Amino acid sequence: MKIQTVVIGGAHLTKLALSLIAAWLTLDWKVRRMRRAFEKQLIRVGMSKKDAQRLSAQFAKLKDNVKNAVKGSMFRIR
Amino acid sequence: MTEEKESRHRHESEAEEVKEILSVVSKELPALVKGILGSVFSEEAGRDLGKAAAAFYKELKSAGLPDEVAVKMTEDYMSTFTSMGDVLKGMGKGGKLGITAKDKDELGKEITLDIQRKIKEKLAEKHRASEDDEEEDDDEDED
Repeated sequence: MKIQTVVIGGAHLTKLALSLIAAWLTLDWKVRRMRRAFEKQLIRVGMSKKDAQRLSAQFAKLKDNVKNAVKGSMFRIR
Repeated sequence: MTEEKESRHRHESEAEEVKEILSVVSKELPALVKGILGSVFSEEAGRDLGKAAAAFYKELKSAGLPDEVAVKMTEDYMSTFTSMGDVLKGMGKGGKLGITAKDKDELGKEITLDIQRKIKEKLAEKHRASEDDEEEDDDEDED
């Protein structure tokens, strides 16, 4: 019973870790797509591409802050 | 013998509980994280924000503002997101609202000193009140 619990618990933990790692890794890709969609809307109303890119850079900053916050909280827990 | 059985049964039920908890956490937590990240960082969110910023920029332009000013104002309008990020950054640095351990220590010292001062004041007040009562009693005795 105990061995079964350890094995199943380990499997659940592995699944959890893999899901979180996947979410972490796909964040950059999501932000890239978000920036592209954002820039597209701004360019449509006549803003230059350079300005649109400058504005969308704030999302990258936000992503970095989120990542730092998560990292910081992880180290605090330890 | 029965005690042994009970103990074994208890251990088994505890193990079962741990298994249940882990299965729920491994199912719910990734969904929660994905949901939060998806609501902030997604193509749809980007499109919606882009529409809002574009409408703002368009209004400024149609009001006759120069391009540079309109872009700057749109950037300020968008900076609300960065400020949200700064809050997160602060949380990452040192807990809620960016209060560091050093700040907490200083705050703790200040609170301790304040409490000590208040206690001294209260004790002095009490002492003074008891002295006044004694004096009044002496006066009454003399009368």
